[in-house]
Amino acid sequence: MNLKAPPQGLWSQGWSRFRTSRFGVAGAVIIVVLYLAAVFAPLLTPYDPIAQGDVPKMRFVAPCRDHPLGTDKFGRDVLARIIYGSRISLTIAFLAVAIAVVLGTLVGAAAGYCGGVVDAILMRIVDALLAIPRLFLLLTCVALFPGSMWLVVVLLGATGWMATARLVRAQVLSLRNLDYVKAAEALGAGGSAVIWRHLIPNTLTVIIVAATLRIGGIILTEASLSFLGLGVPPPTPSWGQMVFEGREALMGAWWLSTFPGIAIAVTVIGFNLLGDALKDAFEPRRFV
Amino acid sequence: MSRFLARRLAQSLVLLFIVLTITFFLLHLAPGDPMSRYDDPDISPETARHIKESLGLDRPLAEQYFRWMGSFARGDFGTSLRYQRSVRGLLAEAIPNTLRLTVAALALHILLGLSIGVLSAAKKYSLFDRVNTIAALFVYSIPSFWLGLMLILVFSLKLGVLPSSHMQSIDTEGFSAAALFLDRARHLVLPAFVLGIASAASTARYMRGSMLDVLREDYIRTARAKGLTETRVLLKHALRNAALPVVTIIGLSLPFLFGGAVVVETIFSWPGMGRLAVDAIYARDYPVVLAINFVVAVIVILGSLLADVAYGLLDPRITVAGGKRN
Repeated sequence: MNLKAPPQGLWSQGWSRFRTSRFGVAGAVIIVVLYLAAVFAPLLTPYDPIAQGDVPKMRFVAPCRDHPLGTDKFGRDVLARIIYGSRISLTIAFLAVAIAVVLGTLVGAAAGYCGGVVDAILMRIVDALLAIPRLFLLLTCVALFPGSMWLVVVLLGATGWMATARLVRAQVLSLRNLDYVKAAEALGAGGSAVIWRHLIPNTLTVIIVAATLRIGGIILTEASLSFLGLGVPPPTPSWGQMVFEGREALMGAWWLSTFPGIAIAVTVIGFNLLGDALKDAFEPRRFV
Repeated sequence: MSRFLARRLAQSLVLLFIVLTITFFLLHLAPGDPMSRYDDPDISPETARHIKESLGLDRPLAEQYFRWMGSFARGDFGTSLRYQRSVRGLLAEAIPNTLRLTVAALALHILLGLSIGVLSAAKKYSLFDRVNTIAALFVYSIPSFWLGLMLILVFSLKLGVLPSSHMQSIDTEGFSAAALFLDRARHLVLPAFVLGIASAASTARYMRGSMLDVLREDYIRTARAKGLTETRVLLKHALRNAALPVVTIIGLSLPFLFGGAVVVETIFSWPGMGRLAVDAIYARDYPVVLAINFVVAVIVILGSLLADVAYGLLDPRITVAGGKRN
């Protein structure tokens, strides 16, 4: 070991720890593959996910060589719909998590740094929002506001920031009293400067881990919404909606519900593996 | 203890107040005139007028707010647009059914979660432990509606051993009490399993972690040195201390339980609040939707209050010190 080399920074330490986790790397691979598949969808399948095929001939075809995952009641190829559907699920999940994390970080940092009345009020609101089950809150909003894909994204983000806010607040509270923050304040740095230049960068690891772990949950929530018919409107393929459509033909055409569900599961597993490994890499606990 | 209780109770009331306020503003922030929502051609003009009057929709916003809060606090939730009945009546029918489901799921969650967690900690890194870790990851990641459908496919459609919907069979005339109970229990199995298994998986993980932390403590070492059997050490000493943080986790899982009930009830045609909510959404039945939101929030807040009280009873340290230790 080269004793003269400067100590590894936070990021490279975390990265080398991450690399040792086989599950974490597997998760990362899964996600990369999924995103590539979503981007290169037209290259992967010759079928159109939306256009209806020759319905009487092509409907409810069981998995075979031409259609590895079968066809649905409109004669559309299931595999094609799953691949194109990944675009919707991945985009929505990514954007929603981004919104949730940004909101949560701002609120949490403000609460943690300002303390006092501001903290108390913000945290009471967080508690109140957490008390309403997320799906109920989402359902209520969907009922009140007209539906569209962007609405789903915004609502998912707007209902998911609370946990991040709590995490960020806890982190900020523990960092606040460190010497370098006090030094910055002593030198005259104002409140927002301290938040932006010192506190937030150092809570970034916590935020990233939390965000990755949340994407899985958001994908599931979005799937549930689509399943209930309240998500992205058809005919855009969405995995949750495909499972719903398959429900009526469950006895005869089991493949319609099974494969989209597997797609959802694999995606969420990938994000959870990645998130867990990131968590272990960047926040090593003393005991396993 | 009573001071602690009083404080938590006051906090809960404040929370409820905030929830009500948020719900009120959601309704009025929505685009469109709230009054026009009740101009649905399907409602008779009588009912529409009655609703508008009782809701005071023609009054200024502040006055509406207080009247609305007052009526909700009294338990008057208005009239359902779809069923033309009092919302309260609808809820009174649906809530017990949902409670049956959630209590069963909660029981499964606690029993399975705690026992697997304890065993995993006791046999750390064994095959049992590893298998459970992987199984937990899977359970955590699959959508509950999909799990429900797959189980229905296997157990109801292909194997025919468990019923796929509703709380009891249609032809239960003349069933003895025992047979009725059994029939209902059979109908409860799949929904409760689907609802509770994900929480059970996450609780098992937490329990395992908590047990491992506790097993390192000195008093465990002392107990072992005294010659107590490992089982006794685990169950009598470690478990009690490890269970404490898990109690809070269980309290925190209540929102997820009710949220999950929405999907599970829809799949299994279970006549509870979740399905009522979804139907109300489809029918744009706002009074029902808002009332359900409120009731669920109340139940959840009450539940976490109970969890905190239980925690306080189990661990006197936090009540005496007058605050949560962390």
